[in-house]
Amino acid sequence: MQRRFPAAWSLAAAGLVFLLFWTIDAHAQQPDFTGVWTTYNEPGAAGGGGGRGGGPPLPMTDAAKQKVEKYQALVKPTGDTPGGYCLGTGMPGSMLGSGGYPMEIHQRPEQIMIVYEAHSEIRRVYLGDRMVPEGDRLPGRNGYSNGRWEGNTLVVETTNLIEQVDQRYAHSSKAKIVERYHLEKGAKGETVLVAEMTMTDPEFYTAPVTSVKKWAKVPNGHLLPYECAEENWIKRLEQLENKAAGKK
Amino acid sequence: MRFIVLVAAALVTGGASLAAHHSAIQFDFTNTKAVTGVVKKFIAINPHMQLVLHVKDEKGERDIEFEGHSTNNMYRAGYRDNMIKVGDTITVYIAPLKDGSDGGYVTAALTASGTRFGARSRAEVEQERLKAEGKK
Repeated sequence: MQRRFPAAWSLAAAGLVFLLFWTIDAHAQQPDFTGVWTTYNEPGAAGGGGGRGGGPPLPMTDAAKQKVEKYQALVKPTGDTPGGYCLGTGMPGSMLGSGGYPMEIHQRPEQIMIVYEAHSEIRRVYLGDRMVPEGDRLPGRNGYSNGRWEGNTLVVETTNLIEQVDQRYAHSSKAKIVERYHLEKGAKGETVLVAEMTMTDPEFYTAPVTSVKKWAKVPNGHLLPYECAEENWIKRLEQLENKAAGKK
Repeated sequence: MRFIVLVAAALVTGGASLAAHHSAIQFDFTNTKAVTGVVKKFIAINPHMQLVLHVKDEKGERDIEFEGHSTNNMYRAGYRDNMIKVGDTITVYIAPLKDGSDGGYVTAALTASGTRFGARSRAEVEQERLKAEGKK
């Protein structure tokens, strides 16, 4: 009986070592997306973000068409956009271009942070135990994102979105967006991050909507700060100064 | 191409700003016009820079209000802090308003020190292409 304990401990230790190496190996296999990325255009292809731009007609439901047309009729005469009022693009526009501005990714095993320079939009992709329970998630323009690895591909599922008719890929709060990220080599041998997006939305679409976005790595790249609401504050100060000076 | 990207970025993220601003659809981005004047106000700000120039031309002497690219886009196109100050005489290259009135969307500028930033003209793009091909 006493002899079994050392054997059991040895087995357990061996198992732990195996698990440790297996885990390290599994992480070592996953690509590192950390860095600054900017829109990659295939040689000869036109540029563009894809966030709010044009494109082929989408398989929209009639109800969704009505909502989008109502919105377009409202803003088309003036050309107003959410960005003009310092509102971030939201998903999927943020990942499909974010207005042509770069993005930065910070990758850890349990969480990936994506910062889009425009409007300093931030997405957090949670993996493994970091995932937030469904009832505790707060809906928003970029939603809530869970991630998992399928070999060298990062699969991100985004839900808990709010309805957004102000995007190229308008959607309801029932939308689910799946992104599949992997690395490729570009035409000049540069590192390219490819994001394949599929959005399903029973309220807005009769079929899945897909798009592909490619990002080129910016060696030693830096994001710039993007303050946007400063203008409001400057105007308010001018109002207060005018009031103090007895002006209207 | 840089011009196209900058304009696309500006339109997508900004498009139009607060009520005091013009809407992007009012600008004629197929045309470029140069305007020279003395800076009365300049704020490098997002989503659009703000500029007031005191201009003297055949229409007379007056202040003209402009807007332009975001600070971030201007930075990437060569702008750096304090390049433009109140009192400087500068030239801006603008997409004019479609209705022909004063003002426009600044796509490039020539500062008082002679530094140019912003979108390159077609002639400059062509010159760079020839240089890259070793023809000039």
